[in-house]
Amino acid sequence: MSYDQQLERELERVGITGRLRARILAEVEDHFECDPDAQLGEPAALARRFADELGSRRALRAAFGAFAALALVGALFLGAILAVPHAGGFASLQRHGESTLSLAGLLVSAFAAQVALAAGGLGWLRAMRRKRAHTLNEQEALVLVRRAGVGLGAGALTLAGLALAATGTEGHIAHWWTVLAFSASGAGGVVLALAVPRLLSARSLTPRLEGSAGDLGDDLRGLVPPLLDAGSWNFALLFAGGLAIAISFAGAAAQDPFDGLFRGLADGAACLLCYAALGRYLGLRQPRERPFAE
Amino acid sequence: MKPETLKGHLDAMILSVLEPAPLHGYAIIRELKQRSGGTLALPEGTVYPALHRLEAAGLLASDWSDAQARRRRVYNLTRRGRRELVRSRGEWRSFAATVESVLAPAASGARA
Repeated sequence: MSYDQQLERELERVGITGRLRARILAEVEDHFECDPDAQLGEPAALARRFADELGSRRALRAAFGAFAALALVGALFLGAILAVPHAGGFASLQRHGESTLSLAGLLVSAFAAQVALAAGGLGWLRAMRRKRAHTLNEQEALVLVRRAGVGLGAGALTLAGLALAATGTEGHIAHWWTVLAFSASGAGGVVLALAVPRLLSARSLTPRLEGSAGDLGDDLRGLVPPLLDAGSWNFALLFAGGLAIAISFAGAAAQDPFDGLFRGLADGAACLLCYAALGRYLGLRQPRERPFAE
Repeated sequence: MKPETLKGHLDAMILSVLEPAPLHGYAIIRELKQRSGGTLALPEGTVYPALHRLEAAGLLASDWSDAQARRRRVYNLTRRGRRELVRSRGEWRSFAATVESVLAPAASGARA
């Protein structure tokens, strides 16, 4: 089997196919035409090197792309929410009684927006820290791709919740707000869709280097005191507690202490639940050691 | 020079080689060897993945060329690549000056 054929097989094995593979093979063929004695290394090693370097770059691009899309979606969502009072919103809703649909929409939006902010923001933070790295290890690249994916998914859910809220509030609120909310949802959906190809491209090619993905401590290094051990459950408890207290105080400041306390506790509990469910998947805490794993 | 010594500087060297004019992969490797007077023991297989990575990072652009009856991928520096080259040069000069000042033999009688 010729070098080209071996390389073709190895490139396919690491996930490099289509036009990219054809281009690499054409370049290698040209190289050997220039120098038949060239030493490009073992085909398997060369294919892995392509996968490591391009897979790492794609994971970083996916994280940056997702964050940029989520930032725009966040601005659209925030704009729509901040406009509610000007549309005679919350007071009007209380007078007419909130429909189950709008309440469900707002709850979904409020929850999903925080997940999107956390996943997208932490993906961006890790990508910024590693943007000059030639290669990432497989686990770290996976974490970047997962954070981008969860961020985009949660962003889509936020917009769906906003659209649902707009449907439920129609007739109880100024018509222009309903139009604004639907427009924001639609425009945000397009922005999120534009970030999906980068995510798919990163999923199709991952680096093969061994290593650990690290944890939240690696993301927040230098931003929180090392004593707090950001990759631990204690830090998650501290953060959720702080969030609950902050929301409770905000409720008290808005002359609504009981509602504020309820929302604070609910938010803190949701934060811990998400940490428990997604903590390992998103690389916020290390997987538990399995010394006797087969 | 050992390949490990080059690690971390390959990107800047590739950008520098492409500064005057666009080149194809083989010509880039040849130019790297020539500029170093043959002292760079560069594993040739490391250059092509690096070229693809630099292109994905937006520092290089490439296109097919059919000159000399041969289809080749020719690389050239982007504006971002030129900015990165300037930054890398500054970083290297500062690093080299620091190491040189430490490695330079101490003047006789400097240590009393």
